Amino acid sequence: MSDTHKAAPMVDEVSDFEILEMAVRELAIEKGLFSAEDHRRWIEYVHTLGPLPAARLAAKAWLDPDFKKLAVADGVKASLAVGIDWINGPPTKFGTPSDYCSFRVLEDTPKVKHVVVCTLCSCYPRTILGQSPEWYRTPNYRRRLVRWPRQVLAEFGLQLAADVEIRVVDSNQKTRYMVLPLRPIGTEGWSEQQLTEIVTRDCLIGVAMPQPGVTSNAKRPVHPAVHPIHTGH
Amino acid sequence: MPSPSRSALMRHFDLVGQLQPAYHQPQHAPYPDAIDHAKYRALLRSSHDVGGEPDVPIEWEEKEEEQWEANTFATCECLAWRGVWSAEERRRRQNVDVGETQYLALPYYGRWLLSAARIIVDKQYVTLTELVNKIDEVKSRYEQKSAR
Repeated sequence: MSDTHKAAPMVDEVSDFEILEMAVRELAIEKGLFSAEDHRRWIEYVHTLGPLPAARLAAKAWLDPDFKKLAVADGVKASLAVGIDWINGPPTKFGTPSDYCSFRVLEDTPKVKHVVVCTLCSCYPRTILGQSPEWYRTPNYRRRLVRWPRQVLAEFGLQLAADVEIRVVDSNQKTRYMVLPLRPIGTEGWSEQQLTEIVTRDCLIGVAMPQPGVTSNAKRPVHPAVHPIHTGH
Repeated sequence: MPSPSRSALMRHFDLVGQLQPAYHQPQHAPYPDAIDHAKYRALLRSSHDVGGEPDVPIEWEEKEEEQWEANTFATCECLAWRGVWSAEERRRRQNVDVGETQYLALPYYGRWLLSAARIIVDKQYVTLTELVNKIDEVKSRYEQKSAR
């Protein structure tokens, strides 16, 4: 009889964070602070999040000048067109407790480039962009972007001409931002779907600019999880 | 208070950077006359207020999420949903009350998790003994599982 799979480890590797996480969650449920169903619904909701709605919003704004005006004037209202309801949305029916209902769309021009940071913590428009990348949360990005934006953007591969003004926008607990980047040349006649595909998460944060043929974030090292999220199984 | 000049602000950030625990300046419990206005201001800055501080370039990386991190996020949100904490106190606990060393040295969701544990104890939903016992119970569950 052949056994091809690896032998089970002698000891389950479990970190102090994993133990504390289970302890806190179980106690909160036992004490009725929230239900197991509440928690399950939250996890399910988080799995539905990602940058796609924000990318669609940008593509729509490129195609429809009236929609662009709406997006810049009232980001919350414009979000409804891509299925995101900041005010009455899931999973609570009043949105998410930590993402407020003020959402602003920052329009780039040929002479002004916006880039978003949260210097105090990691505020991010999760509802429409999904979970923030790890680098966005680092003290390093938050320390340096507000002081040396041109250098930091260059590290992300974005070299800007000296006459382009960089506006660093600091998120806060009340207001979240996405960047509406410039529509690149070479995309004339493209459909909303085609345009959506080139608006990556990094373009929406402002550390990259859309380019025809580029449909994913720049390649970076990925720190793997010891016990990654189970998705769906 | 008039706004400080740009150069005064930059000097402030530089000083804050030097005062961080990793630099190990000889600064523990100094004499009061060692604290001038600039140092006083820098010392009172809260641990999360890092914008403008000097740092060296690092390689930007992505990170795969751990299951416990996703669970911690959901737990913190559920505690807010059901009224255990407001966003204000949650941010203060996660970002300020942890203090400089824990702020910088704990993983991102480690701070979230610690503040969730502390809020349910501080607000007396759970006693510290119950929390400690639960941690032991979870640990022993794992030990039994791995002994099988």
